[in-house]
Amino acid sequence: MTTHHPDPSPAVAAVDLVKVYGRGEAAVRALDGVSVGFRRAAFTAIMGPSGSGKSTLMHCLAGLDTATSGQVLLGDTDLGRQSDRALTRVRRDRIGFVFQAFNLLPQLTAVQNITLPLDLAGRAPDRELLARVVDALRIGDRLTHRPSELSGGQQQRVALARALVARPEVVFADEPTGNLDSRAGAEVLALLRDCVRTLGQTVVMVTHDPAAAAYADRVVLLADGRIAGDLASPDHASITAALHAVSLRDEARHERILRDRDRDPALRDPALRGSAVTR
Amino acid sequence: MTRRTSVLRAQLVDAVRRPARTLLTGLAVVVAAFVVFGSVLGYQITERTVLADIGGTPAAVDLLVSGEDGVSTEALAAIRKVPGVAEAVGRTDSFHEFPGTSGDGISVYADPGSGPFATVRLLSGDYPDAADEIAVTPRTAQRLGLDVGGTVRLAAADRGRPVTLTVVGVVATPDDHGTTGYTTETFAARLAGQDRLRQIELRLTPGADPAEVTAAVTAALSRATPAGVQSRATSAGAQPVVRTGAEVRQEEAERAVAGVRNLFALATMFVAIAVVAAVLVAVSTFRIVFAQRMRQLALLRAVGAGRAGLLRALVAEGAFTGLVAGLAGVLGAYALGHALPPLLRAFGLDVAAPGHPVGAALAVVLGAAGVTALAVLAPAATAVRVAPLEALRTATTTAGRRGIGRLRLVTGILLAAGAALVGGLVVTMLPGPNPENYDPLGPLLVIVASGALAFAALVALGPLLVRPALAVLGWPLRRLGPLGRLAVGGVGGAPRRAAAVGVVVALGVTLTAGALIGVATLNTLIRGELAGMAPADIGVTDPDAAPLPPGLVERVRAVGALDRVVPYRSSADVRVDQVDHDGLAAVDLELRALGTWGEFGASAGSLADAGPGRVVLRRSLADAAGVGPGDSVTVVRGDRSVRLRVTATMTDTPVRAGLLVDPADLDRLGVPAGPTGVLADVADDGEQARSAAVRALRSAVGPEASIQVHADDRDDLDGRLRELSTVLLSLVGLTVLVAVVGVGTTTGLSVVERTRESGLLRAVGMTRRRLAAMLTVEAGLYGVVGATFGLLLALPYSWLAIVAVDAQVTVEFPAGPLALVVLMLAAATALAGLLPARRASRVSPMAALSTGE
Repeated sequence: MTTHHPDPSPAVAAVDLVKVYGRGEAAVRALDGVSVGFRRAAFTAIMGPSGSGKSTLMHCLAGLDTATSGQVLLGDTDLGRQSDRALTRVRRDRIGFVFQAFNLLPQLTAVQNITLPLDLAGRAPDRELLARVVDALRIGDRLTHRPSELSGGQQQRVALARALVARPEVVFADEPTGNLDSRAGAEVLALLRDCVRTLGQTVVMVTHDPAAAAYADRVVLLADGRIAGDLASPDHASITAALHAVSLRDEARHERILRDRDRDPALRDPALRGSAVTR
Repeated sequence: MTRRTSVLRAQLVDAVRRPARTLLTGLAVVVAAFVVFGSVLGYQITERTVLADIGGTPAAVDLLVSGEDGVSTEALAAIRKVPGVAEAVGRTDSFHEFPGTSGDGISVYADPGSGPFATVRLLSGDYPDAADEIAVTPRTAQRLGLDVGGTVRLAAADRGRPVTLTVVGVVATPDDHGTTGYTTETFAARLAGQDRLRQIELRLTPGADPAEVTAAVTAALSRATPAGVQSRATSAGAQPVVRTGAEVRQEEAERAVAGVRNLFALATMFVAIAVVAAVLVAVSTFRIVFAQRMRQLALLRAVGAGRAGLLRALVAEGAFTGLVAGLAGVLGAYALGHALPPLLRAFGLDVAAPGHPVGAALAVVLGAAGVTALAVLAPAATAVRVAPLEALRTATTTAGRRGIGRLRLVTGILLAAGAALVGGLVVTMLPGPNPENYDPLGPLLVIVASGALAFAALVALGPLLVRPALAVLGWPLRRLGPLGRLAVGGVGGAPRRAAAVGVVVALGVTLTAGALIGVATLNTLIRGELAGMAPADIGVTDPDAAPLPPGLVERVRAVGALDRVVPYRSSADVRVDQVDHDGLAAVDLELRALGTWGEFGASAGSLADAGPGRVVLRRSLADAAGVGPGDSVTVVRGDRSVRLRVTATMTDTPVRAGLLVDPADLDRLGVPAGPTGVLADVADDGEQARSAAVRALRSAVGPEASIQVHADDRDDLDGRLRELSTVLLSLVGLTVLVAVVGVGTTTGLSVVERTRESGLLRAVGMTRRRLAAMLTVEAGLYGVVGATFGLLLALPYSWLAIVAVDAQVTVEFPAGPLALVVLMLAAATALAGLLPARRASRVSPMAALSTGE
């Protein structure tokens, strides 16, 4: 299978990425100097406890959000230096998305939803690729249905087709199985992995589910806005173990914060307490 | 109990905390309240303004003497001697033609010229103080080319010798008709004939008792009235009566205000329709608002709120929204109503300020609350049926229901069938070609009933009609690329919402289109009539319908200020097919040579086919003879006759012609060659040019022919038609305004509802500008779909309504203005959607997509 060695030209990479939300005392460092590369034609999962910054990382990598400092390199493009218009074009032409909530347009049929990004770009869909994707995702008999007439698994497969058919450089999947039952979820994950194999598609997936992450070629672990681990050829057991270690460290840190706060009146800020507790 | 109040509190606190959203939800109600209270204030303003300048009996008049047969000058003299009378003036007026003209002349009024009883103000010269002196208004002076020191000859009443009056002054009056002169009461009474006055106005000395003076005046009157007059006056009304000035002024005010009252009664109907539109908008906005809060409502249900309690809370929220909206609307109207008069005064328009009708304001605010609570009922009833489980659901494809329930479908079909049936009934009630004692009110009411049914059917079936309408209307948009396709899809994806908004727009468009069609038809009708009545600006005829003196046509042609001089012959002694038809002459007027050629309309056949051997018949004549276009008639004059083919009939022929024939055919009938009349247009526009042309013509033709100025009549009618269409369209505009507001609110709220969708489009590569453009196009589409529904209703119903009034009328469908209405509504609704669309496009794609809520 795949061997883990540094990739000279990753599909997408973060370099010293920092993202700070809010300012002053309420400032939260969601990303705290993350550097990571994602190999071409590989299926990578980003994991971490809630609030570890994994979603923020994905949003920055995908050009949905801009980092406070550091670089995001999509191929040779530094996304941090792009205007909103340019970022929009990058998303349209070079990136595919799969969301937890499917996010299909209710007024469009399945096939119209699939070709939407191409339509917006004014590009004609590659008929052959469309046929292959539709065939691989087994939604050929559902193309003229509207989202409300499809099951959750079918909707997510349509969303996957939408992400793939524009032949993006990277497909980002945000908890793609979060709204599916385990069988439909497994099916979608297997299809996602097949696309990596057969179409050579780069896929980056954010998930908190070790079973989902086990489908990936590599798992990047995040905690407190920093890289906390990197597993090549992961399986369910190794992922669970790594996650456990990370969250233990996390808990210890939180206890420390709570202790510090009790000692330091300056830290008795309700906003901070709230955020600390939810973590 | 506590549970119920806490649910209520949860809803109301929400409404109070977000006043902007509350106002947005109730925006249509704000507009409705504004319009309703605005018309209350508008009525007050108009009434007070009218009362302020009716120019009736001066305030100085304490008593007024008048009678059916007038009051004699002797009585005036007697009254002046009654103790307690400080001043008495006689009023009279009479119309005097210029000798040798027909219908041309001036009215001479009696007026003291100065003092508290004067109705005129001296501008230059002196006020008349002797017989044969007159003062004229500025417009009269201009029209007749008179100046102080000039003279004017007038025919006296009772066919006496013409009198020559010297103009001694120019006076201003409240309304100057351009044919008005003033002189002393004695001379005016003599001019009027029989030395009689219309009425006498009195002022009492300070401290005099009105009742005593009235009795004394009455006594003086009966002494002064000669026995002969008394015996002739058999009816009690002939005896002069004494009334107080206050009484008379009150009567005058009532009469003046009656017109205002009628106008506002009409306005009330349109305001009511605007309120109905506002209710429809409110229903649709609340539906959207509740749909957005489905999860919150489900949560309340899940934690134990009962359906009834929830319903009560939602209705209370609606009432509160209505209260706030009503208050905002009333305050807005109040501010505008009181700001407008001073503003208009700055522009030289003297308008009275409205009052402070607190009762009406309160009623409007409470009414707004009540109406909104009513509007909220149906959406609230649907909303509280939400399953508590909905709160736990995370799936987000919450596409609205597309179809409609079976009950609604059946109701809609029944309503549509009812509308068609009632419409069919109207067709059977339509009048024939020559109806007798036909009253259009019945059929019109039935048409209104059918229209209301059809509209209700549209409300019920709307969601089903949106997609077919979009399939046709959206075709060009869909070809414009993904943006257009998405916009069409966005509207079609929520057909219930599109229908709810479209129906309101349709109501506005139906009224507007109906008004446009009605005005256009009336306009054509009046133009045709006018073209008959006033075929040219000026007509010159012989006073006795004899041929004009030789050389007169040449003299008219020589007047530089005139053009299109068209002479014609008219022969009254002809008969058509043995039909005895009085007063209709055969005329060889060449219609094509007239400036009004384009405005003549044939009721059948074509006017363009005229020529030798052909005839255009006046319709009444054609009907009497039982002929129409294509038939032949025999025209007989003395012992000669010609056979002519009828090419057209027309309702209103110019110069009272019964038949319009070719000059060659009049020759064959032996009609003398000399023209009997001339028509001409004034070369330049404007009243000054017209007055100058008439003066030049008058001096050119002298006393040999009479001159008729038709252009004045035409201007008058034109003005009234314009006024009518302005009033009608602005009333109808109220509903259109509510419709546009409705589209704006709906777009605004649906944008919030579709934040996720906007976020997705931004995420997959739609630029901000294109997203805003797409949502704006969607809003415009609401307008287009609604306008199409409206037109589909307006066309048949306005046709029916017009035909019900007069079956012979050709209904005009003004394609240009109608298309303009659709375009303007599309633009207005798109504009209403622009702001929310811009806001939606600013949503960051991430915020829209992150997490479930």
